[in-house]
Amino acid sequence: MTEQSPIVFVVDDDASIRDALRSLIHSVGLRVELFESPREFLQGKRPDAPSCLVLDVRLPGKSGLDLQRELAAANIHIPIIFITGHGDIPMSVRAMKAGAVEFLTKPFRDQDLLDAIQVGLERDSARREREAEVAVLRKRLESLTPREREVLPLVVSGLLNKQAAAELGTTEATVKVHRSQLMRKMGASSLADLVRMSEKMGIAVPKS
Amino acid sequence: MISANAALTGFYDYREVVRSVLIAIAASYAGLDLAGRVTAARGRVRLAWLSCGAIAMGTGIWAMQLKGMLAFHLPVPIVYHWPTVLAALLVAIFASAVALDVASRQMGGVEALTGSVIMGAGIAGLHYILMAAMRLPAITRYSDFLVACSILLAVLFSLLALLMAFGLREETRWSVPRRVGSAIVMGAAISAMHYTGMAAASFFPASPPDLSLTVSNSPIGGFGVVIATLIVLIAAIITSSVDRQAHAEIQRLNEELELRVAERTLELETVNQSLRKEIAEREWAEDELRRQKEILERIFENIPAMIAFFGADGRIELVNPEWERTIGWTLQEIRERNLDIFAELYPDPQYRQMARDYAIASTGGRAEFKVRVRDGRVIDMATHVVQLSDGSRLGIGRDISQRKRTEAALREAQADLARVARMAAMGELAAAIAHQVNQPLGAVVTYGSASLRWLATQPPNLQEAREAIERTVREATRASDVIGRIRALLQKGSPQMERLDVNAIIREVLVLAASELLKGGVTVRTQLAPGVPAVLGDRIQLQQVMLNLILNAVDAMSTINGRPRDLLITTAKHPEGALIQVHDVGEGVEPAQADHIFEPFFTTKPQGIGMGLSVGRSIVEAHGGRLWFAPGSSHGTIFQFTVPKADSIA
Repeated sequence: MTEQSPIVFVVDDDASIRDALRSLIHSVGLRVELFESPREFLQGKRPDAPSCLVLDVRLPGKSGLDLQRELAAANIHIPIIFITGHGDIPMSVRAMKAGAVEFLTKPFRDQDLLDAIQVGLERDSARREREAEVAVLRKRLESLTPREREVLPLVVSGLLNKQAAAELGTTEATVKVHRSQLMRKMGASSLADLVRMSEKMGIAVPKS
Repeated sequence: MISANAALTGFYDYREVVRSVLIAIAASYAGLDLAGRVTAARGRVRLAWLSCGAIAMGTGIWAMQLKGMLAFHLPVPIVYHWPTVLAALLVAIFASAVALDVASRQMGGVEALTGSVIMGAGIAGLHYILMAAMRLPAITRYSDFLVACSILLAVLFSLLALLMAFGLREETRWSVPRRVGSAIVMGAAISAMHYTGMAAASFFPASPPDLSLTVSNSPIGGFGVVIATLIVLIAAIITSSVDRQAHAEIQRLNEELELRVAERTLELETVNQSLRKEIAEREWAEDELRRQKEILERIFENIPAMIAFFGADGRIELVNPEWERTIGWTLQEIRERNLDIFAELYPDPQYRQMARDYAIASTGGRAEFKVRVRDGRVIDMATHVVQLSDGSRLGIGRDISQRKRTEAALREAQADLARVARMAAMGELAAAIAHQVNQPLGAVVTYGSASLRWLATQPPNLQEAREAIERTVREATRASDVIGRIRALLQKGSPQMERLDVNAIIREVLVLAASELLKGGVTVRTQLAPGVPAVLGDRIQLQQVMLNLILNAVDAMSTINGRPRDLLITTAKHPEGALIQVHDVGEGVEPAQADHIFEPFFTTKPQGIGMGLSVGRSIVEAHGGRLWFAPGSSHGTIFQFTVPKADSIA
């Protein structure tokens, strides 16, 4: 998987602001794509690269906060940096609660914006890595037999082979075979490793 | 020879009897007819009618009797002693005269009885005289009873005849048929009397009579009597008829004349009445005139307005007390000192000439002048000159100095109020305006930072840096423009009237309102007609009106969610100048509020002070236009105002 260079999306209805942002972001060597409205942004193609969104709160038609909500609903987890002409506290609280990276009031210091962009891109990179890792783990999980998949949560929850066998109504020897098979298939070097993987994949661990 | 003891048997020639009865009827008719004539006539004419009538009627009766006798035959020859026959005729004529005379007078019972006795006696006498005229070889004996009967019948029939004649003498419509009927009754009665009288006589043979002076009873002679009598009767009837017709004509004319006189009298009375009414009206009118004159005099003396009469030469002829009070000069002083009042009132010669021209030449109209009164004060006077029919003029004036001062103060207060309202509007807009200014400032800062960064790269990217700096300048100018407009709106200063393009004003206001529109989610469309005439007005005040209407529209649509929040602003040519309309698609003005929205301090907005529309209307009205609203075609409201075109105001 080749990592593309990061990209910053800008959605602002004011052409001057848009262009000024392009110039500023471009000056630190980042790729920039400009959009006039949320709709244009939603219709545009997003490259497979770490990215973040610089979003004006007040926009014609849909507001920036509306777009944030829509993206979350569509399971698009792009870090958002809000900029506003006259941000008020309730609005910024809502934005931050909904996962915004930063809420900047115009005119903002360039460094604040660039820092926020940096944070956003890093956050997105981390998310992308995490997602890539989970994707690998899920592939491995799919290679398990149904019985092995039944055994996995019991093992991860810390049961002894004997206890797990009792739970499943089978012999300790059989559980032992399944356990070594799934450890191998999942590529886990230890039980702790397997527990960490399970957490990443969000596999529910029954409470003993 | 025939025995003297046996009565001679007589017989009647019945044809003769019928003739005699016919003659009786004819005579009766003539008598009734003539009675009417005698009644209608007076004096000699009456006497003539009475005589002729008596002759005709008497002759008729006489002829009837004679005829009746001639119809009687005895076995012995009968001759008549003619002098006696003639005497009988005279008696008949006399009896008829009495009858006609009685019938033609006012008749009471006594007169009728007397008349009928005389007449009956006459007729009976006639009969027995004629009997006495008979010469025949026989003795006549009379039955007393039948004689009495015949006389009584004669009197009774006479009474009947008189009553009939009396009843018929007035000319009536049915008089001819009735007269014929009456004549038949009377004729029959006379005949009956006659033949009763004849029946009373019996004839016994005797020696031959004395035949001297006798005539024979020849049928031819009898026939001649009949014809003569009929001729007399017919002549009498014709004459009577002609006279009656003439009389009737006279009477008709008479009646007509009377009718005309009555009509004319009525007319005269009507004329008289209307004359009387006219006189009363004239008196009333004179009273009214006096009253009106008094009213006018009282008005002239007491009205709190100056009134002056100017002669055709412009000299003041009469002024009222209010004029003297206000100006300070009295008419007497002006006359005694031969004062040039115009020079006193208008010290500036040019101004004076203008005022004099107005007083002399105006054909009516209003004007305002500054007048110096006697104590040296200068007052404002509103005047109205009216031309009178004789060429003189009536000037009516009022001291409006107080009003002028009030108006000036009001204008000032209005301007202050407008400014306060403007500031309030700007307060409402503050956040939006901050955004409006902030936007370019944000771009300035960002461009500045970017240019620094471009310069700091190794090697510096001068191209990018230059572009960023250029844009910095552009954005700074943009911010400055907005601030300039706001400062203009908040400026204190008296209104500056100038020629303005309403379309330009709308575009300028839209720049200020842009972020407020954006904040309200409102989309603006404009239809600014290119041919809208230039208006005369104060730019800032008109911008204020426009801004207020736009902000109201945004506010009106703030609760609308089901449809796009469209704001349409149009301008158009209007008979008065320019028409500006602001269409919103809000909920519309509630009917209960419609009467109040132009009142000061009335507001539907939580933060509003309720001055926008009230001040807006007073601004528009001060410009000579109107501001009103109407419901929109499907939703919302159209607020609109007119501003007179620049050329229509001198």
